[in-house]
Amino acid sequence: MSETATPDSVDSTLLRLRGVVKTYDSGDVPFTALKGIDLDVHTGEFVGIIGKSGSGKTTLINMITGIDHPTAGEIVIDGTPVHRLGENDLARWRGRTIGVVFQFFQLLPTLTVLENILLPMDFCHMWLPRERVERAMHLLEQVELADQAYKLPAALSGGQQQRAAIARALANDPPILAADEPTGNLDSKTADAVFGLFERLVEQHKTIIMVTHDNDMAKRVRRALHVTDGEITEERVYRPRHGA
Amino acid sequence: MRAVRWRKVFRDLVGHRFRTVLVVLSIATGIFAVGVVMGGRAILTREFDAEFATSQPKNAAYFTMPFDDQIVRRAAEYPGISAAQGRHSAGYRYTWSGSDAPRSLSVVAYKDYANITVERIVPEEVLSWPPHRGEIVLERAALQTGDYKIGDVLAVETRSGKTENLTVTGFAHDINAFPAQFVGGETGYVSFDTLPDIGAQESFNELLVSMKGANLTLREASLLAASLQRDVLEDSGVAVLGVNVPKPGSHFLGDIFKAVSLLLLALGLLSMLLSGFLVVNTVSALISQQIKQIGIMKAIGGRASQVTWMYLGMVAVYGVLAVILGVPAAQFAGKLFIEYAAGILNFRISSYAVPGWVTALEVVVGLIVPLLAAVVPIRLGTRTSVVRALTNTGVNSAKFGHGLVDRALGLLRGLPRPVALSLRNTFLRKGRLLMTLATLSLASGVVMSVFCVQASIEQSVDDLDAWWRYDAQIRYEQPVDRIGAERVAAGTSGVSAVESWIGAAAVLDRPDGTKNETLNILGMPYDTTFVGPKLLAGRWLEAGDKDAIVVNTDARKAEPSLDVGQRVSLEIGGETSTWHVVGVVTGQLSGPVIYADREVLGSFIGDQSVTQTLLKTETSDPLMQRAALDRAEARLDEGGYRVVGARTQAELRDSIANELGILVWFLWVMAVLLASVGIIGLTGTMSINVIESTREIGVMRAIGAQHISIYQIFITEGLTVGFMSWAIGAAIAYPMSTGLTSLLSGAIGIPLSYRFSWSGVVTWLGVIAVISFAASLAPAFRASQVSVRDAISYE
Repeated sequence: MSETATPDSVDSTLLRLRGVVKTYDSGDVPFTALKGIDLDVHTGEFVGIIGKSGSGKTTLINMITGIDHPTAGEIVIDGTPVHRLGENDLARWRGRTIGVVFQFFQLLPTLTVLENILLPMDFCHMWLPRERVERAMHLLEQVELADQAYKLPAALSGGQQQRAAIARALANDPPILAADEPTGNLDSKTADAVFGLFERLVEQHKTIIMVTHDNDMAKRVRRALHVTDGEITEERVYRPRHGA
Repeated sequence: MRAVRWRKVFRDLVGHRFRTVLVVLSIATGIFAVGVVMGGRAILTREFDAEFATSQPKNAAYFTMPFDDQIVRRAAEYPGISAAQGRHSAGYRYTWSGSDAPRSLSVVAYKDYANITVERIVPEEVLSWPPHRGEIVLERAALQTGDYKIGDVLAVETRSGKTENLTVTGFAHDINAFPAQFVGGETGYVSFDTLPDIGAQESFNELLVSMKGANLTLREASLLAASLQRDVLEDSGVAVLGVNVPKPGSHFLGDIFKAVSLLLLALGLLSMLLSGFLVVNTVSALISQQIKQIGIMKAIGGRASQVTWMYLGMVAVYGVLAVILGVPAAQFAGKLFIEYAAGILNFRISSYAVPGWVTALEVVVGLIVPLLAAVVPIRLGTRTSVVRALTNTGVNSAKFGHGLVDRALGLLRGLPRPVALSLRNTFLRKGRLLMTLATLSLASGVVMSVFCVQASIEQSVDDLDAWWRYDAQIRYEQPVDRIGAERVAAGTSGVSAVESWIGAAAVLDRPDGTKNETLNILGMPYDTTFVGPKLLAGRWLEAGDKDAIVVNTDARKAEPSLDVGQRVSLEIGGETSTWHVVGVVTGQLSGPVIYADREVLGSFIGDQSVTQTLLKTETSDPLMQRAALDRAEARLDEGGYRVVGARTQAELRDSIANELGILVWFLWVMAVLLASVGIIGLTGTMSINVIESTREIGVMRAIGAQHISIYQIFITEGLTVGFMSWAIGAAIAYPMSTGLTSLLSGAIGIPLSYRFSWSGVVTWLGVIAVISFAASLAPAFRASQVSVRDAISYE
């Protein structure tokens, strides 16, 4: 793998952040987690956000997913000014535009794996009801969990749960996948498998933004953004191992 | 169930069975309490009113010398009278195999039982109706005082001193008869041809009349009664010994009933309030537990409105389940409650049909209240930003330590670590603590108030002992010679002193021309040592008083003109005279009474004969007092003094206490129901605290906490909440109980002496400790079963 100083050329900007600031008021002294972030991400990119604990990387991905609101600045994703959306519109927009993958999987424990994947379609009224199960099963096949469809999450291993969570994130066929430490809770073999899945999704033109503190994993993304004390301090672009 | 989100709702309901049961039970308890109380009140009132109206109650009763059918016909035809009924009634003593001591019997005889037009009687379980000669049908309230059976024989002492056996052939219900348990004697119905057998004339001595007019006032009834007395009875030469004109439409137990009804209403409203607290608390906790899942759903596209509907749906299911459980349970328990209450108040229930509005209220309590209670917590939960929801750990421990209470708890030193942890945990979830405390404190306050009301009733009865400085009372059939009767009674072994009084009915002539026929005047030596008057105004009787009277508070309440300094006109024994009110004393739970000097009263009515003799005995043992009374009664009988009633003060005290005890019984029902709501609330809170503390429990287990420590932590937390609610409850018990006592006093028309029950406060402390311990035990057990692996992975 070779390292270059310039990003791959891509056809369009999918995500644009300008001067994004996030300040937390809890505690006696306000704490600024993000200090004016500017960032562009293009369609089909596999972006890694890398940094130490407390650097602001999770806050940054929360801004992108609309899970948290910026104190200042603009976030425009696929033409939508996310920073101006209310909670309700954000939820609908997020359900259709961004699939979120969490470190601790966050599958709903009382629903089966299949039902967890059906839930976003249900919320966002995506696909005809009769098509939903077919699509969910197809996604489970993609993540090699079709045989686990009717099990509850508790019956699955950590790696299986994370793959189910990825399938859920893909339920509404969003153009972007945002993952916060998706392999942080997995052993290295399982983490490798999950990463492989992300790579295949990028090949299918999905845009993936992934937070990680694992430097080895970071080297497998196309573009790595190093975040330190709330600022992007370094940006590296890697050439794909097998060529895109 | 096509939509997956509804599957989640269903799975949450089924998956968290313990929580579902707890929430459903909480709501069902509210439905149950409201259903029993409001349904009971509605049915009791409806059935009581219906039966009382069907009985054709009297508007006036005349107690007279003998008269015949012609008088009854004339009375029935008198303008303004809708019906008239003649009957014979007289008091007797009888013995019976079921009782050691002789008992009082009020014998009533009608000529034609098939055509009773006023105060109708309903035969319930009879071998023959009307009763034949030699038979007696008892008023069914007798079953409350003894185990009477058909075929029992009552040996009735006749006027001539002989004994006549009457066979019990059944039981009838007369809603207008004084229930046996209140008056210490039974009522029985006999045929007219039985009267000569028991030494009575085959004639009427009571005339009951009903008057026309739906909205008759007491004044109109009194005026009509007076004119009928003059134009029909006195015009025909029938001497009237007494007249009773009750307030139209009112039953003699009406005041007690009104008090019971008020209590039930108060209980119903409190139950609704507590049930609301419980639901708010439970739903808030439920949302708090689900906050992370709400965050996840919002993160994958769920809108706040969609998530809100999911949780409202869940609460609606809880409500429907609670209605399915609570409504029939309330109906079943309500029926038992109504049966018992109707038994005590002696009226029949012809239909247990629950009014539609009660069922509607139950549904409102079961469905609408929980949904309303859930709106705010659900709204707060679904409005929580995704990032906050996802980072939620159930407890924001960062918030602990900033408040005054937190800092004060932090200053506590030297406590064992688990105890300190329990105390701090108690104050960790302040909103929930507040709700739980509100529920349990209110329940504690009510329970301790009931103790206080009970103590106040006991105090009021104790005050009677201060008034009564004698042990037993004998009433004669006719006025008797005082010196002779006292000599016979004083010679009885066990009797240490005797005194005789003159008792008579007194009719007050009001300035507006109407009369009060319900007063009694007692003549006693002005320097008597047999009573201890508690003066509220003016003075007691003195030597040399010529026309002085003292009235009790009941008399003054009934007739405001009977106040110190007033001159009033009283008709006693057919003679009208003017008296001077010199003092007011406290009432003795026996209605309005006027006191005068015996010699003065005797000279006013022209007869110094006495109607009752009071005995002081050498013992304080009620049984020994009864034995001395029986001996005195036997000696008087032998001496030719016909005794119509003999009762020890202990027996009278018990009888009054029984009557007031009805109220206490209802109060206890109220207290137990509310305490149950409080206990369920505490159990729920403790269980939810355990669920939310799962991770902390795991950490403690991981660092070496054994089962006993886990138990200690949660039981100490439960006890802390219990003791706090006890302290708050004790603080509110004083104003609450004074209000309740005053409410009851007003409702029953008897001033009660207030007493705060310290023993009740201490007793409740013990009970709340046991309850809190028990309520924390199951959650503590669940906590002790949490494995470290599960706890640490708990999300």
